[in-house]
Amino acid sequence: MEAKEVFERFSERESFLVIGRSIRRFDALDKALGRAKFTADYVERDALVVKVVRSSLPHALIKSINIDEALKIPGVVAVLTARDIPGENQIGYALPDQPLLNDVKVHYVGDPIALVCAENEEAAFKGVEAVEVEYEELQAVYTIDEALSEDAPRIHGGEDNIAVTTRVRKGDIEEGFSKAEAIVEDIYETPYQEHMYIEPEAAYAIPEGHNKVTVIGTMQSPFLVREKIAGILGWSLNQVRVIQALTGGAFGGKDDMGPLVCAKAALAAVKLRRPAALIFDRDESAAYSVKRYPARIRYRSGADAEGRMTAAEVDITVDCGAYANRAPFWLWRMTAHAAGPYEVEAVHVDGKAVYTNKVFGGSFRGFGDVAMHFAVESQMDMLAEKLGLDPLEFRLKNVLRPGSRTTTNQLLDHSVGMEECLRGVAEASDWWNRRRRVKRTEGKLRGLGVACAHHGISTSRGAPDWSAASLILNEDGTFTYRTGICELGQGSQFGHAKIVAEILGAPLESIRVEGPDTDSTPNARPTHGSRGLMLGGSAAADAALRLRSRMVKVAAEMLGCDEGDVELRDGRAYDRRRPENSVSFRELAREMYIRGVSPAAYGFYAPPRRYFDPETGLGVAYPVYTFAATVAEVEVDPETGEVKVVEVWPSMDVGRAIDPLLIEGQIHGAIAQGLGFALTENLIVEEGRVLNPNFKDYVIPSSMDMPRVSNVIIVEKPYRHSAFGAKGVGEPAIISIVSAIANAVYHATGIRFRTLPITAERLYRALRGEKP
Amino acid sequence: MKIRFKLNGREIEAEVEPNTLLLNLLREHLHLTGAKYGCGIGECGACTVLLDGEPILSCLTLAVEVDGREITTIEGLARDGELHPLQRAFLEEGAVQCGFCTPGMILTAKALLDENPNPSEEEIREYLKGNLCRCTGYVNIVKAVKRAAEEMAR
Ligand code: FES
Ligand code: FES
Repeated sequence: MEAKEVFERFSERESFLVIGRSIRRFDALDKALGRAKFTADYVERDALVVKVVRSSLPHALIKSINIDEALKIPGVVAVLTARDIPGENQIGYALPDQPLLNDVKVHYVGDPIALVCAENEEAAFKGVEAVEVEYEELQAVYTIDEALSEDAPRIHGGEDNIAVTTRVRKGDIEEGFSKAEAIVEDIYETPYQEHMYIEPEAAYAIPEGHNKVTVIGTMQSPFLVREKIAGILGWSLNQVRVIQALTGGAFGGKDDMGPLVCAKAALAAVKLRRPAALIFDRDESAAYSVKRYPARIRYRSGADAEGRMTAAEVDITVDCGAYANRAPFWLWRMTAHAAGPYEVEAVHVDGKAVYTNKVFGGSFRGFGDVAMHFAVESQMDMLAEKLGLDPLEFRLKNVLRPGSRTTTNQLLDHSVGMEECLRGVAEASDWWNRRRRVKRTEGKLRGLGVACAHHGISTSRGAPDWSAASLILNEDGTFTYRTGICELGQGSQFGHAKIVAEILGAPLESIRVEGPDTDSTPNARPTHGSRGLMLGGSAAADAALRLRSRMVKVAAEMLGCDEGDVELRDGRAYDRRRPENSVSFRELAREMYIRGVSPAAYGFYAPPRRYFDPETGLGVAYPVYTFAATVAEVEVDPETGEVKVVEVWPSMDVGRAIDPLLIEGQIHGAIAQGLGFALTENLIVEEGRVLNPNFKDYVIPSSMDMPRVSNVIIVEKPYRHSAFGAKGVGEPAIISIVSAIANAVYHATGIRFRTLPITAERLYRALRGEKP
Repeated sequence: MKIRFKLNGREIEAEVEPNTLLLNLLREHLHLTGAKYGCGIGECGACTVLLDGEPILSCLTLAVEVDGREITTIEGLARDGELHPLQRAFLEEGAVQCGFCTPGMILTAKALLDENPNPSEEEIREYLKGNLCRCTGYVNIVKAVKRAAEEMAR
């Protein structure tokens, strides 16, 4: 394909116009002015307020739902239950196990039962109180072991509480362990993590005419939201218009919550023929929205006398909570990354995801790779110690390199910068000297830890993946670019604009990005899996290349030169041989319209196919991997058990840096979230009830908790099949920081935590001899 | 009841209930949606506005309390099309990601710089600790406040 050749030419450019430079993102201006609109900012005052009636029991049959008293409350307009759903009452993501509104059975505390729609918030709250639900309580299961026990109640029927299983069989595991000089084995547990985006879930639905609805919401997958709403309403896709408003942080959570919240608002608006808004309160968001899936990993691994990994045997159990949601994908990601970013000859992995009667898990930055690498990186440290090797040295012997094979035996032939990342942080942190030097300072304990990460880009399980975008050259020489990739704070759309600007030689200001509106933007598929820039941006590049070839053709005729001599730069087309001979994009645009040359282009991109053998799990799990390494220095106060992260040295192989400032922003944010996950974020769930659904008791890092963050080391190993070689950067940094901190705590104290978070209280007790 | 106050430099009058929250008055009645709801119970700082120059949480403040006083919201910070140095610095340093915390963060930082034109990094961190941000890790926010302080000193 011709476009591909042009594209390769661009990728080899020696100096770029805008790619690789830190440029102030244009969408930030409205945000700094207070003019950026988030979902709640669109809601008109006379809109109906929707509140959710939720289950008060973790597991029960619903005997009856009585709404009579609620309807008597002044201001309550209606109470909607399952029977008001005109389409299919089903909103499960991977499996059809999740009703939008429950009328048969509830599966966790907080399970939705009814929607109270009222003129104002006060009436809505009173209405929620007044709905009477009669239950027949069932035995509930709260832990993995309870769920797997013989006599456990079956939460979703079936033979057991296992939602899904996975496996990988690579190499001869017996032989692998027989070659090992050192073998270590342990069990690791990671807890829930709550997203705590500062903007809570929100949706605003407006009925249009008699058979259409527009929904504005905070989300990551507008087209998934549309599909789910259409299913609930029993409508076709083109009757539902979904607009993604600017989203105040998402981190995966709003990928899952978007459909759930938007479908409820849409149902209310359509049934009552009035605009309706559903906005979560903070405690509702923190208690009942999806969380990072808790997981338990049994890990046994070995290395030979030379320090080479020989075998890894891994058993994974994911705690789904009440619904499977993304668990099949989460578990598959863990499974496919089980050996870590290391070459291991023999790898056996068995995974399962089990139901419990707790709030269900879902997408969260890093997906299952955070938990998986916590296990892997702890094991690596322990093996190094057993072999008497420096942990960083030991990793260097084993990291994936070009030509290596992954957990699923996928051959990595290029774009593998793991070693460079690791060497980069070693040098920046002065690892070998610092590691020796750090010790007691004024009664405090200091330690230095390292960890690596790899993260496959795009969706899991070989699900087909692709992306699309559109680009129009307007009559005045400006551009309108449309993408279904969401702005969540990460700046992906701005990255797309830079790609378009680079290819077209257009000033960035002349490109206007229109965000997701399912009625006018092409389907770019979800903004998750760190795919927004790599896949969405590659579709942008495809559109720009198509438009470019037409622009060049017309420009050549206008300039009277060869197409090969046309150069597009600064919003003009030049004849390279006679640069004084040029036309502006405005003139060029007008000429294209007059000549009937299409000024619009549709861009499409699909990464190379992935596939795997369901029996062995072997195959191409992801098109490409992003790599990261982190060194962290911590200081432990033995008097309080408190861990302070003093400094962090991050690095990442991003393929190609489209915008270093955006990358830095992603890494800083991931460090903060990882630090919270490692040390302070502790969701307390007792008998299925979340006891600390607020910022005071569920502690996310504040400005006081952040360490010094050293300059981000950007390694560039371009990926052959994406725009300019870029790979996703949103997630990998949270993966390595968590383990780097845990390893540093070990270095400081000699105590290895196999369960997170390492709270001050736990460390305090461990320092006094209790089992960590 | 009727209240009068100065909002972003303009005298205004509003009809409120005794229990109307300032956050709701601004957002719903006056169409200034720059202040955000993040928790409603004083724990996140997203609803921060300035009351006589001091940062307050509008989700915990009754509208009647501002009677006769002066409120500045994010919408009132840029004057005559000129960005405030803090707004400029936030853009330059990449301190804005999702932008949901940004209005509150910038206003709190403004109060700091009005009080202490040359704060140390520690002082900035300490002053901003009630404004939570889940996106940026605060690194570039702290840099931006420093940069604005330097610029304002020139
Ligand atoms: S909304 Fe006021 S502090 Fe959170
Ligand atoms: S930029 Fe998103 S919360 Fe601060």
